[in-house]
Amino acid sequence: MLSERVRHNKIIFSGTVGAGKSTAINALSDILPVSTEALATDEIAGMKKTTTVAMDYGVLNLPGGEKVMLYGTPGQERFSFMWEILSNGGIGLILLINNAQPEPLTDLENYLGAFSNFIAGTAVTIGVTHMDRAPAPGLDAYRARLAELGHTPTPAVFRVDARSRDDVAMLVKALLFTLNPGLSDA
Amino acid sequence: MSRPSPVLAPAPTAVFLLHIGSMDNRLIGLSIERHWKQSIRLAQSLDEADVVLVDHDRPGVDEALNQLARHPGIGVVGYAFRPESLQTRFPHHLTVSKPLNLDALPGVLNRAALLGRPLQPVALTNMAIQESSEPRPWVSDEEPDLCGSLDDIPPSPGAPLPAKLFFEPTQYLIGHLAQALDEAIKTGRPHVVSGLPRLIGVPPLPQPVCVTSFRDTQLRPFSMAQLPDATARVVNALTFSGPGSTDTLHTAEDFLWNIAAWAARGRLPAGVDPYRPVRLRAWPNFTRTWAAPHALRIVALWTREWASPVEIARRLEIPQRYVFSAYTSAHFAGLFQPEPLAAISPPAQPANDVAPLIPPQRPSILSRILRKLLNAV
Repeated sequence: MLSERVRHNKIIFSGTVGAGKSTAINALSDILPVSTEALATDEIAGMKKTTTVAMDYGVLNLPGGEKVMLYGTPGQERFSFMWEILSNGGIGLILLINNAQPEPLTDLENYLGAFSNFIAGTAVTIGVTHMDRAPAPGLDAYRARLAELGHTPTPAVFRVDARSRDDVAMLVKALLFTLNPGLSDA
Repeated sequence: MSRPSPVLAPAPTAVFLLHIGSMDNRLIGLSIERHWKQSIRLAQSLDEADVVLVDHDRPGVDEALNQLARHPGIGVVGYAFRPESLQTRFPHHLTVSKPLNLDALPGVLNRAALLGRPLQPVALTNMAIQESSEPRPWVSDEEPDLCGSLDDIPPSPGAPLPAKLFFEPTQYLIGHLAQALDEAIKTGRPHVVSGLPRLIGVPPLPQPVCVTSFRDTQLRPFSMAQLPDATARVVNALTFSGPGSTDTLHTAEDFLWNIAAWAARGRLPAGVDPYRPVRLRAWPNFTRTWAAPHALRIVALWTREWASPVEIARRLEIPQRYVFSAYTSAHFAGLFQPEPLAAISPPAQPANDVAPLIPPQRPSILSRILRKLLNAV
């Protein structure tokens, strides 16, 4: 049976529908991610053919057999009850925002609000996706909104391609250094 | 009493640019024309050349070098990104590394021409720190971090600071770019950095961006080298028509971060006080910008608190040059927070009561995840 400590080695990926949570976990995971994607049947159907209705699950295998779970929350708000359960005990939050959605800064605000308790005790880094086809708002607008919402110091906000392992890994590295800048990177 | 005989200046070394791209051709040509004409001239053919300069990285270099078979007395200076890999293939060439340092190149060409025999390879990277035009031995473990090798300065102000700690931005591409951006924002009109083999456009609206057909591999050497006087000019671009099909569009913040890092190589812009506390208002976009070693740690700490570059280095227990590099990039990218109304006075002494951020003895789960990502990515 896994120890309590090991069970809590998890990083949470959350964010709006179509932001690339499943893709990001897929890019980083050492195993084929377990996904509960289903055919989209609601307003999401116009955006993507499938959507995560429960959670995604990937793993980072660490030397010595230890594992870090990568949990992706479902994007739709009707599943928001699951967010707190999934994030409980997690290391931190990777929040992905789809910049091509109509109100991405409002999405940012909503998700930060939903995870406020979790973030208060951990940290968050933000990946903005789909900026290639929707360049506005820019990263400075995200930073300004974060400052307005009282998130100081301003969390890292990166332009991200969720398919890129380098991009996703950079988000996680920034999360780790936000938690502890004293971590050795040598 | 006899009159002293006039001293005749030696004839300029004739260099033939063999198999060199048009951009390098233009930059080297400009340098010869404006700065080196006492010592170097361009040869129009191999027949009149004392030395040839060859770009080893261009396809078809072997065919180009075949032309030298009929000119055995000509010295050869080649340049490449990985000169070490060429030593066995071209043992009689003097091979130097890219980016070419234009200050050192005349000396190298002259020596190759005079000696007429293979020289010890030299490295021409990071030469703004090595201001001498003398070639230096090529170092196999060439520092990959582009942060130079500057020693730390004292932890407290008082002692005179070494001149080599600073660079003058106006002598580098970053200075011209920063000027173009300032002008574009001030006037609301696009500006262009011209005079280089390709243009860099800076339209200010809706968000400041930099548009160029330079690729990163071309930009880096241009950013690292001191530009000959009057090479680059900033002009109001009334006719700037926006990005073309071969252009890449960068946010101004990302673009200036990179160009500044490449120019800085562990130094600070002239006039900066390394003991003055500052604070970052935001993280740079590290998925699109160049991250020097320790850059993420530096930024993570610097977004949390006001601290001088020297203090940040002390807290993280890292060489100051890495912090100076991040400082320079953040300065030009506009990422420092404006000072609060109550002026922050720099501490006379380093805040030794604030302990360095030392990693725990047993690697934490965060360290182990980080190790995994650093080793795998």
